[in-house]
Amino acid sequence: MSSEVKTKAAPRRKRLPLTYVVAVVPVAAALNIVGGQINTVLKLPTFLDMIGTMVAAVILGPWWGALVGVITNVVSSFISGPIGLPFAVCNVAGALVWGYANIWGWARKNWSFFLVNVLVAFVVSLFAVPIYVFIFGGATGHFADVMTAAFLGMGQNLIVSVFSSNILVSLADKIISGYVGLAIIEALPENLTSSARLPKSEGLKRIIIPLVGVLIGVAIILLFLAIA
Amino acid sequence: MDKKTVGTKEGLAFGIIALGVLMAFMPSAAQQIADLEFVASEPFPILLGATYVLALLVILAGVGVLVAKFDDKEEDE
Repeated sequence: MSSEVKTKAAPRRKRLPLTYVVAVVPVAAALNIVGGQINTVLKLPTFLDMIGTMVAAVILGPWWGALVGVITNVVSSFISGPIGLPFAVCNVAGALVWGYANIWGWARKNWSFFLVNVLVAFVVSLFAVPIYVFIFGGATGHFADVMTAAFLGMGQNLIVSVFSSNILVSLADKIISGYVGLAIIEALPENLTSSARLPKSEGLKRIIIPLVGVLIGVAIILLFLAIA
Repeated sequence: MDKKTVGTKEGLAFGIIALGVLMAFMPSAAQQIADLEFVASEPFPILLGATYVLALLVILAGVGVLVAKFDDKEEDE
């Protein structure tokens, strides 16, 4: 009886092989850096530098995701200048929300997984907006600056304008990152993703659900471009 | 066969180390950011803000240590 009760308790996170972690962390950081560089080269109104963070935070744990986030922004600062370094805290915050949401089972269903991505976008914006406003004066050369200028032109103050533009960009970015991450995790062997408590889908749904998520993100970007 | 494994404790440890590394980079980054043409801020306020945010994350890491379960033997089962 007691053993039955024990098995029904919340599952404990299993210990992971060191070689697995040593392989995943740099690959996830590289995925972030490549995503960020593609975004910069194509001048997209997103960031795409948190896909690897999401994957690491879910399959390894929140603080491993935080490590991936810091590695990403430190290495990126050597490639493209120091502007990205203060935003490492945003990457860390995103990793913690995704990681703990996974541990606490908040992202088990499709709708709750979507809401977790929205929560990540909101928390990341809370960290990003003060950096934008107080360090960079509201502009860093990102595409979102156009929209910040539009909001300023409407008579909003700087903090509201930066938050309004950043939350839209962040929302699209985190939804796309979350669903691309979900597709990556579903493509990995099951024994490597045993700690992931994400929506399970079979057959064609494994492709359709991430695709729909990415399309929602793209639709938000199109809305953003229409406003800008 | 390599049986080395890592768990919550190591994850938290590396997360805190990462925050320390980020802190170590901030003084030079603050100066470099202040040197940018479009940035009006001085290095000190940039460093001050970064320190406060990183302090918040270190506190969160401490809370993470408090709530985490480190019973490795049970996790290995």
